[in-house]
Amino acid sequence: MTKGALHNFRVIDLSSYIAGPFCARLFGDYGADVVKVEHPGAGDMARSFGPFFKDDPHPEKSLLFLYLNYNKRGITLNLNNSSGRKLFKELIKSADVLIEDFDPGYLEERGLGYGSLAAVNPELVMTSITPFGQTGPYKNYPGSHIVYEALGGVMYTSGASDRAPLAHGHPQSLYIGGVSASHSTSAALFARNQIGCGQHVDVSLTEVVAAHHTGPTTRYAYTGEIERRAPHNEAGSAKGGAHFEGVIPVKDGFVGATFQRGAGRRGTLADYLRLVGRPDLLKPEYEESLPAGRLTDEQDQLLLSVLKDWGKYEYFTTAASESWVAAVVQNSGDLANNPHLHERGFYTEMKHPIVGKIQIPGEIFRLPESSFKLRYPTPLLGEHNIEMYCGDLGYSREDLVRLHQLGAV
Amino acid sequence: MINLSGVNTLDKGFEVSVMDGPLSGLRIIDSTTVYAMPTAMYILGDMGAEVIKVENPVASRVRAASVFPDNDPGEKPWNRDGGFHRLHRSKYSIALNLKQPEAVEVFKDLVRTSDVLAENNRPGVMARLGLDYESLYELNPRLVYFSFSGFGQTGPWKDFQGIGRMFELTSGVSQFTGYPEEGPRRVGGAWFDPPNGWMAVFAILSALHHRNLTGNGQRVDFSMYQMGVATVGDAILDYIANGRNGQIMGNRHPFLAPYGAYPCKGEDQWIAIAIENDKQWLELCRLMGSPLWVKSDKFSDGLSRWHNQDELDHHVGAWTSGYYHTKLMTLLSGAHIPSGAVMTAEEVLTDSHMKERKFFEEVTFPPKSRMGSRVYTGSPWKMSQTPSYIRRPPPDLGEHNEFILTEMLGRSKSQIDELYSLGAITKEPVPLPKPEPKKSEAELLAIKEKEVKDGTLAGYDPDYKSKLGMK
Repeated sequence: MTKGALHNFRVIDLSSYIAGPFCARLFGDYGADVVKVEHPGAGDMARSFGPFFKDDPHPEKSLLFLYLNYNKRGITLNLNNSSGRKLFKELIKSADVLIEDFDPGYLEERGLGYGSLAAVNPELVMTSITPFGQTGPYKNYPGSHIVYEALGGVMYTSGASDRAPLAHGHPQSLYIGGVSASHSTSAALFARNQIGCGQHVDVSLTEVVAAHHTGPTTRYAYTGEIERRAPHNEAGSAKGGAHFEGVIPVKDGFVGATFQRGAGRRGTLADYLRLVGRPDLLKPEYEESLPAGRLTDEQDQLLLSVLKDWGKYEYFTTAASESWVAAVVQNSGDLANNPHLHERGFYTEMKHPIVGKIQIPGEIFRLPESSFKLRYPTPLLGEHNIEMYCGDLGYSREDLVRLHQLGAV
Repeated sequence: MINLSGVNTLDKGFEVSVMDGPLSGLRIIDSTTVYAMPTAMYILGDMGAEVIKVENPVASRVRAASVFPDNDPGEKPWNRDGGFHRLHRSKYSIALNLKQPEAVEVFKDLVRTSDVLAENNRPGVMARLGLDYESLYELNPRLVYFSFSGFGQTGPWKDFQGIGRMFELTSGVSQFTGYPEEGPRRVGGAWFDPPNGWMAVFAILSALHHRNLTGNGQRVDFSMYQMGVATVGDAILDYIANGRNGQIMGNRHPFLAPYGAYPCKGEDQWIAIAIENDKQWLELCRLMGSPLWVKSDKFSDGLSRWHNQDELDHHVGAWTSGYYHTKLMTLLSGAHIPSGAVMTAEEVLTDSHMKERKFFEEVTFPPKSRMGSRVYTGSPWKMSQTPSYIRRPPPDLGEHNEFILTEMLGRSKSQIDELYSLGAITKEPVPLPKPEPKKSEAELLAIKEKEVKDGTLAGYDPDYKSKLGMK
């Protein structure tokens, strides 16, 4: 069996919900030994948030938790308990990475801040993911997905200018925060080969969004111009974009249509009418290349009318096969059944003790020599306590029972 | 634990000057264009890797497509584009016309001494140039050959082009996003470009960790589509288990309320508020002065609040309208209520928290460029031992032709002259673009004012340089 690229790393995942768990899972996907540490009782808050398998709210049936925590072993540990804190330090001794998302100061108050843990294991890379980072005037403020998209500058330029600014309707900021944390953590592991020690990585979710949305900040720093969201366009084709690059209604859904062909090349209105099979509407002036900027209302209406009888996949594959840049608005069902994803091996079957067999989204990129593999199904709360505490750390079964009775695990 | 006796990455016969970045000592060839992959490459450059941008002078349109200092393209617009600059700091540039066999030889020489080659050409292009993985493996078996494309190297859609802003639709994020009665929308520019670049950095580092253990490179197959779909994995499971698709709910949350953007004092000023539990709701009621309406059964518990959101949002909005957004954020956040002012680019750039964290970094260009200094976003994370920072200003086209050929590849001056005369290397785009007539101050002002009138600009600040402390 090919080992994953990261198989000689052990990662302790002390985080919850989306950003930290996604970051830790990426390490597990490519071979790392990831140990999910949850508070006894309720565990990761994603266990209480849905969606749930068969709409049955149950801590082992949270689909959000199932998705973000496979390829991990799971244990319980109470950091508010003296024996729990001792166990935690023992875990840290053999760890390469700790991923945590407590409020700044929470771990220090329990004697488990970066300084104390580095004293136990100088090679530890500790990654802290918080709303605003470990320093600065906002560091103790609480966050939420919509807060990051507001403060990072995304919302002000999104939506229509005569309406409220718009955030993503799914917690994108947290997923991309997890990605940013994963590569900085991995780079710190790489640096360890050269500097011989670990370090503390301080991730700010607000900065993640600001580092993403660099167009408007660069524009201001070059011209003083303050970008805003686009005015509402009645015809709808400019929704979310300055050109014919919005979201267009078709017979059975929506598509994304552009005039872009190949790298940096733009087609003409005439090319477009030929593409969609309406050469009857050609006028000589349509052969001219389109000026940069907004379409006229007349052109806009023309384009909307020629697309309305297309099927969404029919349009997407026709346009994309002719090298036009195009998109199709896919919903979850479309994605679950998408032939391209299936042929690429994106989905993997997971056998879970409570939920049973379920198709899960898996491999994101392929490393042929050391790739993605489903090594562990998502752990039940405390599933690997015996294996970890008695096996890895060498406690007797009697002491494990005592640790449980003391409220440490 | 890591195998500390793993393969040393510094055995390539060149001196590393500063050993302060996490990736110091790595050499990376950036043969990528547009947005996502140039993002990945500048992050690696900020981390201290030596990133060599190999540019095609025949198709360098991306170098003059976006925004110029004070809207002045100057005589060489390809060296003044902010859209290019923001994605190409911390890199060296060599302009190679790979249609010339001599340029392909230079490329291969670079491959011999590099750790990573990143490319996002259309399938088939690299093979046509003799630069496919099998050919380069012969030259350097330790090479990580990173291929990035819209849909990956296999599967029925592999030849389709993909760009970040279109993947918001195809990857399933738009099924949640928009105003409910209108249908899906895109949010936040080219949403999937930067995160794909970020995931690409993780993938490249994973391949380098593998190489540290085994000594071998490999060819990585990365698709933008899959990275995008991975961010809605929980929703796909909701369909698989419950047959449910995403709903467009504006800024609303599936089970929390109030949750959204509320109007504030002033024109187009807003605050995002996210009430996540009863405690935060009671704090909000206290700050609102416990008005009579909060005592209604419609708002007394979380589920009722969620079901009565239209009315709830109306009441909350009426209260927030009396405050300036940043003042209100201080009040709410101080009471541990998650909130954030909806900030303009100017507000993000001058925010006190961002300033204290030194999130934005100032880059001073060489005097002859007449660029002065400009400010760019830094890294959204800080490393305590091996900092990331902008290591060099964004390069002019072909700025480092001589440095790379002489210092890195040991070519002589006469060999370099010959490459220039063959057109294999250059410092100017081919063909030279037609210069655009310089616009007068009055014309530029008229354009800005039209944009303000049309609503695409909130305004413009003639004092932006001093506000950002730029020279």
